[in-house]
Amino acid sequence: MPTIKIDGREIPFESGDTIIRAAHRAGIDIPHYCWHPGLSVAANCRMCLVEVLPPPGRPAMSLDILRWDAAKQDYVPAAKPKLQPACQMACASGMEVLSDNSDHVSEARSAVQELLLLNHPVDCPICDQAGECRLQDYWLEHQRKGKRMRQEPVHKPKAVTFGPTIVYDAERCIVCTRCIRVCNELARDPVLSVRERGNLGEITVSPGRELDHNYTLMTEHVCPVGALTSRDFRFKARVWFLRSARTVCQGCATGCNAYLDYDPRNNTPYRHRPRENMAVNTYWMCDEGMLSYRHAVEGRLLTALVGNDDASLDDALAAAKEQLAGHGDDPSKVAIVLSAQHSNEDNFALYHLATTYLGATDFFVSGKPLGEGDDILISEDKNPNTRGAVQIAAATPPRPVAELLQGIASGHYAYVVALGSDLEVDAGEAQRAFSRLKGVVTIAAHEGPLAKAARVALPACSWAEAEGTYVNGKGLAQRSERALLPHGDARPAWELIGRLGRALGYETGWKTLAELRRAMPPGAALGGAAGAAAPAAALGAAPAVADGARVEPKKTEATA
Amino acid sequence: MARATPSNTWTKPAGRPIAGKPIPRPTRSADVQAYIPEMVKGLGITMKHFFKNTKEMVLGQKPDPVLNALEPGVTTISYPEEKRPYPERFRGIHRLTLREDNSPRCVACLCCSTACPAQCIAIEPAEYPDGDRRKGYERYPSSFVIDELRCVFCGFCVEACPVDAIRMDTGLHAVPYDSREQFIYRRDLLMSLSDRSGSRLTANTRHEPGDPTHPGLSRDHADH
Ligand code: SF4
Ligand code: SF4
Ligand code: SF4
Ligand code: SF4
Ligand code: FES
Repeated sequence: MPTIKIDGREIPFESGDTIIRAAHRAGIDIPHYCWHPGLSVAANCRMCLVEVLPPPGRPAMSLDILRWDAAKQDYVPAAKPKLQPACQMACASGMEVLSDNSDHVSEARSAVQELLLLNHPVDCPICDQAGECRLQDYWLEHQRKGKRMRQEPVHKPKAVTFGPTIVYDAERCIVCTRCIRVCNELARDPVLSVRERGNLGEITVSPGRELDHNYTLMTEHVCPVGALTSRDFRFKARVWFLRSARTVCQGCATGCNAYLDYDPRNNTPYRHRPRENMAVNTYWMCDEGMLSYRHAVEGRLLTALVGNDDASLDDALAAAKEQLAGHGDDPSKVAIVLSAQHSNEDNFALYHLATTYLGATDFFVSGKPLGEGDDILISEDKNPNTRGAVQIAAATPPRPVAELLQGIASGHYAYVVALGSDLEVDAGEAQRAFSRLKGVVTIAAHEGPLAKAARVALPACSWAEAEGTYVNGKGLAQRSERALLPHGDARPAWELIGRLGRALGYETGWKTLAELRRAMPPGAALGGAAGAAAPAAALGAAPAVADGARVEPKKTEATA
Repeated sequence: MARATPSNTWTKPAGRPIAGKPIPRPTRSADVQAYIPEMVKGLGITMKHFFKNTKEMVLGQKPDPVLNALEPGVTTISYPEEKRPYPERFRGIHRLTLREDNSPRCVACLCCSTACPAQCIAIEPAEYPDGDRRKGYERYPSSFVIDELRCVFCGFCVEACPVDAIRMDTGLHAVPYDSREQFIYRRDLLMSLSDRSGSRLTANTRHEPGDPTHPGLSRDHADH
């Protein structure tokens, strides 16, 4: 593989790589604002300037300048090398680049930083970017001086509403055009553009349009400064109080890798943001997915229900035993509903209980009905683990819930043990059907038609409160970490299933997650960290961090 | 009949007289009897201090005993009535400074509560209501609570505040209340305290976005 030398260090590159891309892959950080590994190169912020040494035997490209000489108290003629933007400059074999080792580069970085901050308001205390702002970080790293301009900065509109999700502050914008490129290249909806030039430049929405495609929150996420803020997150939390857990988005079958940022002090989630995984979502997530963090606490089933009345977990388990009394007489009368909304662990626990102890043979899968999809990220299947649930029960292929209703109508079933709360069939119809059964027990994290139809419902943890493995639409198993502590009486679904089994008088073999995972078929539970899928490594994504480590919330994108 | 006190090792053993050591009395010689002039001298010193203190108290001339520690004289003050002047930079009870329009300058950035080593500041940020000219890009504390009982008066919060919204220049020290609840200082109380000159504004004014003094800001299309 050909190599280039950065600050004396040999690093390999692939043909077509730019200097910054090769450097990032090798873990060398060249400061940048406008470059984003997932977007085209604009090269307009000039923060990434580096010195490229001339090929041997050729003169250096240089510029004649006047430099202030403090001793002579006068300007003296001097020359300085012409610096190159690392984000645009293609690598060539044997190229030598000076980044941190060049005084010219340090001077340029400091000057670029001063230029960017000329008109920038020092809004940092109210700015939601504070704590993860490139301007702050690079100021500390590369400048550490006040600005020399004493005039009033140029004032531009603040708090402009761009659309239902995004607010724009033109004063803070550094016109890096990342947001424009996200709209053009990711969402393929060119709704943003720049107007005016220089000092007056600002981002504007196409006349008659709003920023309202499915990836608007990505425009906010890629903004390296606080110019774009999400109306959902702004003024809600300060990032330095947040911790991040590496989760898998529950919005659809794509299974985008995400960070769930939560405040451990009040056990509340505040936002989802994409976590790069080249095999799944690259650097992106859709709006719905990024807002779906709310489901970790909204619409939850927080106490056990017996006949729709709150009950303690023990009472509910006793009631469940009563409900299922007589299930052993004729195991073929027991129907098991797995959930495409729950993790492999939860589904396996129920499957294991059903096949090993209850003797059930009929399996069904519940989940959200199909929705809109697109050819970017969003799948039509709105369940994160359809494939996982189907794979778990592969020996007795599971069927859709509609067939369960038919089976109930024909009097085939008397008992249902179900996981999850969503149904892709009409809720009223399902409720009528379930009411004809002898016993219905549901283990669900959220309130929903299935939880409502059940006569005993046990409160399960949502994905944010329990570890779990999810298999996305492409068949990639990914692990999601626990972020929050369980709310209310919620317990992980697999644990509730174990307790239900023990209440029914069976000796289920697992009491901890590790035991359960050992019992699972290989491949159904990932051993490693979430997103450490082999294809990602093959594509050159950064290796996933060690399992269980918490990552500081930083809006860093991509170490491609 | 009263019970006899049980004997223990700490009481006098019963029945045995105390053996004292006889001390010879001094003879009444003239130099021993001549204490009266000394007594009058002592009384004189007492009276001198009495009249001096009274005069200084009446005329309000009493020198500060600590500042004048090396000078001879009285080194006490009668505390609750007389108080030592606190130094200029004394860190007293906090206050929240106000803007010209009496709104809090605090932008609920949580820098002070982040810096506070005693974790005694709790702030809830909120957005300004519709129609407010600061709505949309600035927030304010809907609740701002300091637990003065936990506070260690380190002044870190004052140092941390980027907008000079919290100060400890009231000159007040913690008052001895009788319930813990009274030490929980809330936003409105903090905003009603003034500095020693009686002002509730800050001494470091600057024009801020949203203030009428702030130049050249167009908010035409800010409509949310
Ligand atoms: S964008 Fe960064 S530098 Fe600018 S106000 Fe926000 S936090 Fe401060
Ligand atoms: S809004 Fe943000 S992302 Fe868009 S051009 Fe301005 S600074 Fe760049
Ligand atoms: S003075 Fe110190 S302890 Fe007291 S509130 Fe401020 S930062 Fe906290
Ligand atoms: S008092 Fe100052 S530091 Fe504390 S939240 Fe308000 S503005 Fe921020
Ligand atoms: S990152 Fe290279 S010019 Fe902006």
